[in-house]
Amino acid sequence: MTCMKRIFSKTRRITVGRLVGVTLTSGRCFHAELVRTESSGLPIVHHSKYVCDLPANHRFPMAKFPRVLHCLLQDQVITERQVWVPEIASKDLLGAVHTEDYLNNFISGRINEQEQRRTGFPWSEGIVRRCRYETGGTVLAAEVALQRGLACSTAGGTHHAFPSYGSGFCLLNDLAVAAKYLMNSSSRKRKVLIVDLDVHQGDGTAFIFKDEPSVFTFSVHCGKNFPVRKQQSDLDISVEDGLEDKEYLSTVAEHLPWLLETFRPDLLLYDAGVDPHWEDELGRLRLTDQGLYQRDHYVMKTVVKRGIPIATVIGGGYSRDINKLALRHSIVHRAATQVWRECGM
Amino acid sequence: MMGETEAVEIDDILDDWFIESLKSYKDLHVYQLEHPTQIIEWTSGKTVCVAGYSSGKNEILELRLPLKLLADEKKGLCAERDFKVVHGGFSEGPVCCLRHIPGTRCAVTNDGLNSDLQLWDLGADDTDVIRKTGSLPGTSVSQTGSRIAARLSSSPEVLHGAQSSAVQLTQLGTGQTLYRLEVDSTEPLSSLKFVSETAFLASCCDGTVYLADTRTSAPPQASPPPGECTLWWTDASAGPQCRVIRLSSSGQAVVSDLRNMGGAVCRAQLDVQTSPRKPEDVTVAWAPALDGCFSVSGLSGLVQIYDTAGWRAEPQDASPLFQHAGHSVSSQHGDGSAPIFITTHVWHPERPRTLLSAASDGSVHVWDWVDPQTN
Repeated sequence: MTCMKRIFSKTRRITVGRLVGVTLTSGRCFHAELVRTESSGLPIVHHSKYVCDLPANHRFPMAKFPRVLHCLLQDQVITERQVWVPEIASKDLLGAVHTEDYLNNFISGRINEQEQRRTGFPWSEGIVRRCRYETGGTVLAAEVALQRGLACSTAGGTHHAFPSYGSGFCLLNDLAVAAKYLMNSSSRKRKVLIVDLDVHQGDGTAFIFKDEPSVFTFSVHCGKNFPVRKQQSDLDISVEDGLEDKEYLSTVAEHLPWLLETFRPDLLLYDAGVDPHWEDELGRLRLTDQGLYQRDHYVMKTVVKRGIPIATVIGGGYSRDINKLALRHSIVHRAATQVWRECGM
Repeated sequence: MMGETEAVEIDDILDDWFIESLKSYKDLHVYQLEHPTQIIEWTSGKTVCVAGYSSGKNEILELRLPLKLLADEKKGLCAERDFKVVHGGFSEGPVCCLRHIPGTRCAVTNDGLNSDLQLWDLGADDTDVIRKTGSLPGTSVSQTGSRIAARLSSSPEVLHGAQSSAVQLTQLGTGQTLYRLEVDSTEPLSSLKFVSETAFLASCCDGTVYLADTRTSAPPQASPPPGECTLWWTDASAGPQCRVIRLSSSGQAVVSDLRNMGGAVCRAQLDVQTSPRKPEDVTVAWAPALDGCFSVSGLSGLVQIYDTAGWRAEPQDASPLFQHAGHSVSSQHGDGSAPIFITTHVWHPERPRTLLSAASDGSVHVWDWVDPQTN
């Protein structure tokens, strides 16, 4: 009943039209501004506030988030009806991973110059807001995945954020917040497997869960890429520069099945970073568009076939051609659509 | 032995710098040579020569710049982010000076031990070998190396000499001496540079600069050192309004107009962290495509870019517009080894903010910096 209250009390944000068809199944509710339980298509999680203004010429491709959604709609891969809208992540949700001091300073703008430099972002209210929405998006994607089997955010993958500081364009660790929340939100502790295929090691996530047996962190990354200072995931596969599609795919295939078999997760969070692509400005690997598609399809199909819910985030990608980058990020959504179809979901 | 904490701190510094560099550079590519180089010489818009300077045998390499850097709009088509070795050869001794003869595939080198020159064929498409084709005897008994200058001309010629008394223009094909600089002083040279097809500057380590013309045997215009210091470096800018900068080992920078070397257009005092003692310690170079900007390496562990726009006749402290710290950041050893230093650097001839720099640890960087004032 508290759930119902939460959804209906937000009448400012939800129009009457959208309320039609809202159902509650088995008392589950979502951290959402807009739910799409009536839609039978692949759930996509997106918020217009995933973006904020950045100084001109800033290196972070902020514009990619809405463009990912746009190109999926334009190419008719998805329709608007599939798009779920997340709530902003509350301090409570964030506080399960991040320290109170950091959160207070972060939200109120008391991050000093040196700390800001390491994140790559100048502090602004906008950046705080967008990071919180992004984290909320990953949480919602995980919640929806638990119910529908598969869900994809159009953002997420901020795996360099540590409990008390941000780093490398990551200010809050969305994967960790989602994992922590979902791990504890049911009567029996859930086991969460985080598969991070971004070209940079998921160091923040590895650190956060190093002593948590219910969360398994698995990262495949290029050894020579940032960060130089690596953490220890539960399974780290450090690959050489220049690795191409075939070898990369066989590396993933070498480990994912046995991990699923032995760890037996209740939920899988998948960081489908596209920075292993050969055109990526920062990544040092050589995957092609095909390679990324095959990778994502393989991961999602393998997991879904075992009946394990999987939520995906787009992870990292760096290119000054925003349209190409957005298209690349949309590969995971296209592969997910295919898996959705193939598995009769 | 470096402790674990120190190793972690160094890693942190590297990570901090990497994130910082995303903002301060449009492009940055790092390459590691097996042996450090003291020279970087353009052989085309896309290729440079580097060479070792150890006492024995040394490699001479022609490297192609990362295609990703050069591509600009079509960056997506170019995966290559590394330098590529396109030609290579061996020198019997150190290579302290290397000059490409424009319009040819020839290069001329000097080993810094005497004034003899070696001639090289840099190779064409059908070979990857750089081979020695001959030598030119030096013009003087000298313990310092020769400086070398060349410009586009109908028949390949090279201007060279180790001292102001022994500068000559030699035709490569015949070995014939076409011109000799008539100067009595035997001051070691810090640089030789053509400022037009026939006019050139012979700059001495003591700060004296001679402006001469290869068409005439008349004595050159001599300009005495612009200040009290015993070690100076000089560069002349290209273009109609030729500016000459002279920089001393104590950091005094004096800018003069070529046609009025006796006066100074402006001056400044640069901060010096190291104590340069040898001519090869410092490189100073005008930016070919950025008006009024010049670069200097050797006064600190960094390559520094200065903008002379605000400089006045009265010398004032000047701060760099930009500093490239890449070499010192990535060379943190913590094992007590000598700090690395920049051995040389050059500007790209056309791209306004692209430079190449090399350091004593064998690193070679090519970087395209963002003007901090536009950020």
